[in-house]
Amino acid sequence: MRIKYAIILALVAIAIGASVGLKMFFKPHADISKLKSEFKLDASNLITEFGQDENTATTKYSEKILEISGKLVAKNKLPNGTDLLVLEDEMQGISCQLDSSWASANQSVIQSLETGNPVTVKGVCKGYLMEIKVSPAIVLK
Amino acid sequence: MLKKLFILVLLVASVAAFGQSKFIAKNAYISFFSSTPMEDILGESNESVTILNAETGEIAFQALMTTFHFKRALMEEHFNENYMESTKFPKAKFNGKIEGFNKAMLTANVSDIKVTGILSVHGVDKSITAPAKLGLESGKLVATAKFKVTPEEFGIAIPSLVRDKIGKEMEITVKANYLPFGN
Repeated sequence: MRIKYAIILALVAIAIGASVGLKMFFKPHADISKLKSEFKLDASNLITEFGQDENTATTKYSEKILEISGKLVAKNKLPNGTDLLVLEDEMQGISCQLDSSWASANQSVIQSLETGNPVTVKGVCKGYLMEIKVSPAIVLK
Repeated sequence: MLKKLFILVLLVASVAAFGQSKFIAKNAYISFFSSTPMEDILGESNESVTILNAETGEIAFQALMTTFHFKRALMEEHFNENYMESTKFPKAKFNGKIEGFNKAMLTANVSDIKVTGILSVHGVDKSITAPAKLGLESGKLVATAKFKVTPEEFGIAIPSLVRDKIGKEMEITVKANYLPFGN
């Protein structure tokens, strides 16, 4: 009788372990629209912070979710179809690659954006490479 | 601010001296590909920056490791945390030169070239030579390259338990659509 229980217990443990393992393996990418932003910033302030001390700013913001408001200066599509928004400065501003599933469901929002107008985006900050890289991102307003 | 000013001065100086002497691509494509019996592992980034010096044929690439995107969230996590240690080594860099460079290469049709230089990944510098292609594709300057590296070359330790699941060699693909810089 004891052995029977032990076997059942072991099987249950294996089943739980396997399901946890499989769940981890097939874990989906984070849905940016559902996550809370950790920082709310002005695009120009963020650019100044990275310009003054790249390392400190990278440690502070890398892999964090930022809500950034600034002027839209460019709206492009990359060769693979990703929508790209650039804030403040085309060469050394903030480059935001939009989340592909969000973008395909919200093409009308993207189409209505006009360069020169203010825009607010939410996305994951990746650090600095001539410009501040934010991806994936979504448009809030 | 200082850095911005420095880049601006550099930019103005180079434009003044040579005219349009540099090409840039801010959203260059780089991928890692490794085929295994279990499944193919593909990490892609569309956020690499590259500059090509049209006077000297010098070519530089930089990529942020955290911009590589994988099919599974877990692959991305392992790539950044266990293998690349992206917090410690956030950028991969390549600084090199086009062999036998001449300016005509920039206005000719796409043709085979060779690029030699130093590839820095995971804090390890390694000299590499890679076959590449450079030239005009529908009026735009494009560069592509494909070459292989092994994780061990860059001091990336892969636990023996999963060593067989990750290909011995990784194929790196690079594609950049260049634009004239500084106008």
